Order: sequence, then C-alpha cells, then structure tokens
Amino acid sequence: MLIRFLLRIAAMFWLGLTAYAQAEKVDERILLTFIPNVQFAPFYVGIESGYFADAGFNVSLEHLQEPEVLDLVAVGQANYGIVSGEQVILARSRGRDVVYVFEWFQQYPVGLVHNRALDLSDLDDLRRMTIGIPGRFGASYSGLTTLLGSAGLSEDDINLREIGFNAPEVFCLGAVDAAIVYVNNEPLQIQHLASKGDCGAVSAVDVVTVSSQVDLVSNGLIVSGAYLEDAPDAVERMTRSLGDALRTAINNPAYAYLASLKHVDSLPADESLVSALEAAADGQVEFLASDPDRDAIAKSRQQLEADLTERFDGAMLTQFRVLLNTIELWDAEYLGYSDLASWKAMRDTLESLGYLENEAGDLRDAFTNQFIAGRDE
Amino acid sequence: MRKKSHDNTENRKDAARVAAALCPVSPLLTVGCLLLAWQWISAREFISHILVPPPAEVYQAFIDSLADGALVKHASVTLEEMLYGLLLGVGVGLLIGYAIAKAPLLESILSPIIVAFQSTPIVAYAPLLVIWFGSGIASKIVTTAVIVFFPTLVNTIVGIRSVSPNLRDLMRSLKAGRWQMFRHLEAPSALPVILAGLKTSTTLAVIGAVVGEFVSQGSGLGYLVTSARNLYNTPLVVVAVLTMTAISLSLYGLVAYVEWRFLVWRRRPSL
Amino acid sequence: MKLSLRELSVSFRDPDGRAFSALGPISFEVAAQQFVCLVGPTGCGKSTLIRVLAGLLPATSGSARCDGELISRPMDQFAIMFQDANLMPWRTVLDNIALPLEIDGVPRASRYETVRALLPQLHLGNFEASYPAELSGGMAQRVALGRVIVQAPRVLLLDEPFGALDALTREKLSLDLLRLRQRNVQTIIMVTHDISEAVLLADRVLVMSRRPGTLVEDIAVELPRPRRSHMIYLPEFLRLAKRVRESIETLNSL
Repeated sequence: MLIRFLLRIAAMFWLGLTAYAQAEKVDERILLTFIPNVQFAPFYVGIESGYFADAGFNVSLEHLQEPEVLDLVAVGQANYGIVSGEQVILARSRGRDVVYVFEWFQQYPVGLVHNRALDLSDLDDLRRMTIGIPGRFGASYSGLTTLLGSAGLSEDDINLREIGFNAPEVFCLGAVDAAIVYVNNEPLQIQHLASKGDCGAVSAVDVVTVSSQVDLVSNGLIVSGAYLEDAPDAVERMTRSLGDALRTAINNPAYAYLASLKHVDSLPADESLVSALEAAADGQVEFLASDPDRDAIAKSRQQLEADLTERFDGAMLTQFRVLLNTIELWDAEYLGYSDLASWKAMRDTLESLGYLENEAGDLRDAFTNQFIAGRDE
Repeated sequence: MRKKSHDNTENRKDAARVAAALCPVSPLLTVGCLLLAWQWISAREFISHILVPPPAEVYQAFIDSLADGALVKHASVTLEEMLYGLLLGVGVGLLIGYAIAKAPLLESILSPIIVAFQSTPIVAYAPLLVIWFGSGIASKIVTTAVIVFFPTLVNTIVGIRSVSPNLRDLMRSLKAGRWQMFRHLEAPSALPVILAGLKTSTTLAVIGAVVGEFVSQGSGLGYLVTSARNLYNTPLVVVAVLTMTAISLSLYGLVAYVEWRFLVWRRRPSL
Repeated sequence: MKLSLRELSVSFRDPDGRAFSALGPISFEVAAQQFVCLVGPTGCGKSTLIRVLAGLLPATSGSARCDGELISRPMDQFAIMFQDANLMPWRTVLDNIALPLEIDGVPRASRYETVRALLPQLHLGNFEASYPAELSGGMAQRVALGRVIVQAPRVLLLDEPFGALDALTREKLSLDLLRLRQRNVQTIIMVTHDISEAVLLADRVLVMSRRPGTLVEDIAVELPRPRRSHMIYLPEFLRLAKRVRESIETLNSL
C-alpha cells in the first residue's frame, strides 16, 4: 500500500518535472543550406546528444537556398540560420539587419582541385588555364576571385567555364584543367574516380585551398539585429550549445557520423561499419577523458581513418572521409571566433567583383564575438 | 413614348456595348488594381520590404537595368533560347507527330518513351541536359525544345487524326497525291489544333529556357533572377520575373494574332 | 461510259474480327448516259456500293467495271457527291468549287474564271468569298454540286446528296442537277431514300434488299424528258412510285 502510494507520488513528481522541462524548451528552427549531409554533423550531434535540449531548445533543421535563409532570419520568420560571411556583407548592404554571431567554418571551404602531375606551387601558372566553376556566384566565385587576386591575377587571365555542380564528371572528362570545388567533398569524389581509373589520365589530385592564401570569413550562425537585442541570453545559449556540439563532432567523428545517420538518408552504414564506429566512439570517449590536446585528438582521427581504411572499401568510407576533411575546416582553438581581417578580406573580394553597389557599412556591426568563450574581443 | 420592353432591350444593348468597349481595357484594369494593392501593401508594411519591394523600387530597378543594358542583354538571350528551342521542339514535334498520326505502329513503339519523358518534370533532368549539351546556349535550347515538344506532338497527332474521313475520300476521288493531300487537306485541317498547341508551347518555352538558365548560369533572365537574388537585389528579381511574363505573353499574343489572321474561317460567321 | 457489276460483294470485319457481309452479291449494268437511282432499306449497302464504284473501297469478291476496265482505284472522269456537302471549312465558296481544278494543276486565274462563270447558275453569285460556316444547307450543297460540275465528269456518283435538306430545297436542287445534265449528259448512279425523287429523276430505279443488299427489282421509268416537277401528278408517275413503294414495303414486311 505504502509502496503504491509512494510510486504514485513519484510518478506525479516525474510527470510534473517532464512537463516543466518541456514547457521550458522553445521550438527553434535552424535554417541550413544545401541538403541533409554529413557536413552538418555538429547540428545532428547537438540534437542527438541533447546539447540543444539542455540549453532549452527543441531544434528542428530546414534546408533552403542561402538568400532565403538570410531573408527569413532578417524578417524574423526564423531566429537562426547558417550562411556564409559574404552573404552577411551583401545582405547588409541591401538593408537586411543580420548579425553573424558564431563562425562555424574556421577555414574557407573552397579550393582549386587539379591533377597532381600539374605543379601549381606558383599560382601564376594558372594563366590561360581552363578552370571550371559552378557559376559566377556564391562562395565558389568569391573563393576563385580571392585566389586569383592573391596571385595578382584576374578572371581575364584564365579561361573560366561555368559547369554547375558537376565538377567530378566535367573534370574527369578532361573538359577543364582544374575546377573550383568545396575542398572537403569533390576532391574525394574525384580521387575515388581517379583510383578506379575513371578519370582520364589523372591518377591523383591535389587541392590549392583559398584559406592557404587568404583568411576569408566563412559559414556561420546568424541572427537578426532585433532578435539579438531582444534575447541576447537565448543567443548566448544557442552559440554555447552549438559550440559544444561542434567540439564533440571534432573530437569524436565516429560518434558524429552515427548521430548523422538518423538525419541523412543516403549515408552508407552497413552493420559492420556501424558496429566498428560504435566501438570507435566508445573508445574515443575514454581517450577524451584523459584530456588530450588538439594535436593528439587530430592524430586520433588520422589513426581512426587508417584503421577503417584497412577494413572497409572506399565507397563505404567516402562520406566518413568527407566528415574528417570537413572537421579540419572547423577545428580551431576558439570555436566560433571570427576575425575582423577575414571580414575585410571578404569585403575586398566582393568589391572587386562589383557586388557592392551600396555602402557595406561598418563591418564591425556585421559580426560579434561577444558569445565566444575564452577569448575576449 | 417607348414601350417598357423596348426600353429594356435598349438598356441591355447599352450594357452590351459598354461591356464590349471595356473588353480590351479590362485586363489593364486588373493590372491596375493589382498595382494599387501592391502599393498599398508595401506602403502599410504588412509584409517586410525585404520580401515584397515597393513598386517604386521595382520601377527604379527597371530603369537602372534598362540604362546599364543588363535587362535587354539578358532578355534577348532568353528570347533567343526560347525562339531556337521553339523552332527545334515544334519542328521535331510536328514531324514525329505527323509520322505517328499516319503510322499507328510507330505510336506503339514510341509512346512509352514519349510518355515517360513527358511525365518526368523538366527540372529533374535539366541538370543532365546541361552535362550532355554543355553549359552554353545549346543546353537551354534543348531544355526549351524538350518542354515544347510534347504539346506540339499531341496536338499534331490529334489534328491530323481528326481530319474528316469524308474529305479524305473526296481528295482520293480527286486523285490527289500525297503532297496535295497534306497541303490541301491535312495541313489546313490540323492547323487550328496545332496553333492551339503552339500557344501552350510558347508559354512553356520560357519555363524551359529559365530552368536551363537556373541550372547553369551565365546569362539570360533566369541568371538575372539568381544573380540579383544572390546580391539581395529583390527589386531586380521582380523586374526579371515580370520581363519573363512580358516575353511569354508577347509570344502568346503573336500566335493568337497569327491564329486570328490565318484562321479567318474560324471567326464567328458575320451573317 | 458503261458500268457493269458482276457478282459484286463487300464484307467487313466487326471489332471482334468476325467477317460480316455488307453488300451483294449484286450484278447489274448501267448503259452509257443512263440515270439510275438506287433505293432500299437503310443499311442495305447502297453507300458501300457507291464507294466501290468510286474506287474508294475494294470489292471483296466479284467485280465492277467501267467500259471493261476494272475499278480498283478512283477512275478518271468519275465524280462523287456525298451525303453532306463535305466542304473544306477553311476554303471560300470560290476555292471549294475550284478545288478539283487546283488538284489538276489548273492555274489560279483560269480556274477562278471557270468557277465564276458557274456561280450564277448555282445561285451563288454573291457568295464567292463566303466560308461554308456562313452558308445554309441548300447553298452548301449547291457548292458541292458546283465542285462536281467543274470536274466535267462522265460518270457521276451521288450518295444521297440532298438527303439532309428540306423537301422544297431538295426538289429544286434535283431539277438544277437535271438542267445542268442536259448540257453534258453523264452516266449517273444516285442513292436516295426518296421514292418520288428516284422516279422523277431516273431512267431506271433499282430496288435493293436488306443487308447484305442484292438486287430485288429493276424498274424502268419511261417518263418523257426533260422532266418537270408537275410530272409527279401523271398517272404513269404514280403507278411507278406505287410499284417502287410496294417493292420496298414487301422487303420491310419480310
């Protein structure tokens, strides 16, 4: 009798607690670009591991085109979005009041993929080459312009061909000498084709990254100016939980991949790979308990890749490799921090492209590092 | 004093006359009302200017894009793609349509392919067309041709098949040859249906061209939309979209005029 | 031109692929310049017979010949007139009548001249630029008649040409046809379901049986020519009309 009574009290208490917890959680949409993909692993980690929930958010993810993400955040139809820094500068020059609060990609993800046999240690050798690009827009075009500018070249010095998002096919057909790509993805696909002998005379590729030449501001979290003013504490919780999720994804890629499986349909995952990753994720948790430094963690990632390469074929691991490559673009000592210089470099690029008809305004209003832990502005 | 019933007929006639006079103007009235509503909505800021730019800004963007030649340049690229695409798609549609109408065997061979092709949205395989035909004007011409092909094909088949069998007998009894059969019977008989198909095709042509331009960029109104959108120049996006509408409506009007001019016999009997 | 039919029969296939007989076997001859009317119950194969003679439909067995030549395709100097006017709606009256000349390659000026000379006789003088949609049924049928006349045929096949018209118009058109024939006498085979019309126009009335149509009676009409509309009151006319009617009614009562 007493036990049943106590149980009932406990149940009521428990129900009340969960109801309280649920009432506390706010539904938030985070608008992303592209399509569900392993490259968004930090957001999947944030949802699956409860970082967002602990910060009081019930997060759902949506994928839109970059300008749509930005405008919906600007008009307050969503509070959070992920866009690249150039979009922030362009949109602010056209009257959108958005603020960049967390730099997700520390390195600009664009680069130039080329045949390894082609020595490109001097970028001046790009002169008169045929270079493929998705189109004269977006991060690819800004990246190319910056890359050329850093070598003292301009678009007129090369033969630029718009090829859509078909770089692997077009490059391997030999229609272009080099292609502007996202460094974490297409080079892997091209390398995969090349190792199968499906890429013409090319047997191996190299990438010249934009970030190796110039530090450009890259993808990050934006909010509207009004929201930032109204709810700075919410923004603080969101950036902190995203930072935690990002750090977890960087430190434990096997776990990040597993967390992505629920969100990305086409991710390769047969039982043996899943169990291997589960074991690796558990092992990594133990390893992390010993408080290793960033270099040690980076080495652990390389070791994991090497281990998996022995056991699984290339197609099965391609997406995991994309994740590992992308982690290299995220990793930094202070996650989320963006540098005024990288904003200026981006603005210069946009200006040289003639994209800034209106005044860009003070770049220091475009972003803030106020929520970045451990590093003061 | 007129009788009341007489009065009524007069009134009705007056009303009819007013309606007839309004007929050419009424589309303009609709457009005028829409413009007013647009101005009112943006003046009151029911919707953010970021999403719906006010008419004045759009007009300014129109003037600017005319002045720097961008609008004319992109519009003429799109128009060129549409015209070549129409030429190709309608041409092939007419030929295959005629062949199918005359040879039912050919229909049973080709129709699975054609129906499969048609029931797949163009947006889905436009990227493939760009890979196959390159990112230049050719892929957009092909995209346009593919989209205008089907209405032409169907209308050609329907048109040729609906040729009166009695008139066929008449032509045979006059010992008309194949060409005369085509020239004097099949072509004029199928023309109204084919022109109706062409009207549909012209409105679809702009979709084909713009979808192609969306997939691989460079020039054209579809490119102007994307690039203006990427630069957050919403007024220019609206200008580009309205220009597409204008081009599409003009071509439609042109075909309607051709119809009116050449199908004199289809106009209401003047008796 | 003389026509002769020998054991002519036509059969079709129904949608299930079964053959059914539509006409014959039927045999008769038509002397040159004779006017023969075919009467018989609906669906007895009269129109089928006309189509075989026009060379538009092959005989299943037996033969139809013209001056000894087998009819297997549209013959020279044959013209056919259909149940409805069968005009091309996109052509004006002038161009509809001129169609046979155009097919024959007659230059525009000369074919228009020919047709314009014909229009007054057809009572179409003011309608050369009209389209078929603007014409009454009688006018449309006169255009069709004009289209036959410009062919100057020696054999004329008429498939109930006035069937869709009211009685007065049809009588007027029949007599127009006879008047035009006086200038250029042709062999005529005409299908009709109007007994008076048959007796008034023809030299012979052939009565056909129900499907598959065969010849049941061959009635010679010995009324003087030119025929006039008042002849329908002559005792001889009435006797012949009665005979045709009885012949058909016997069939219907079977």
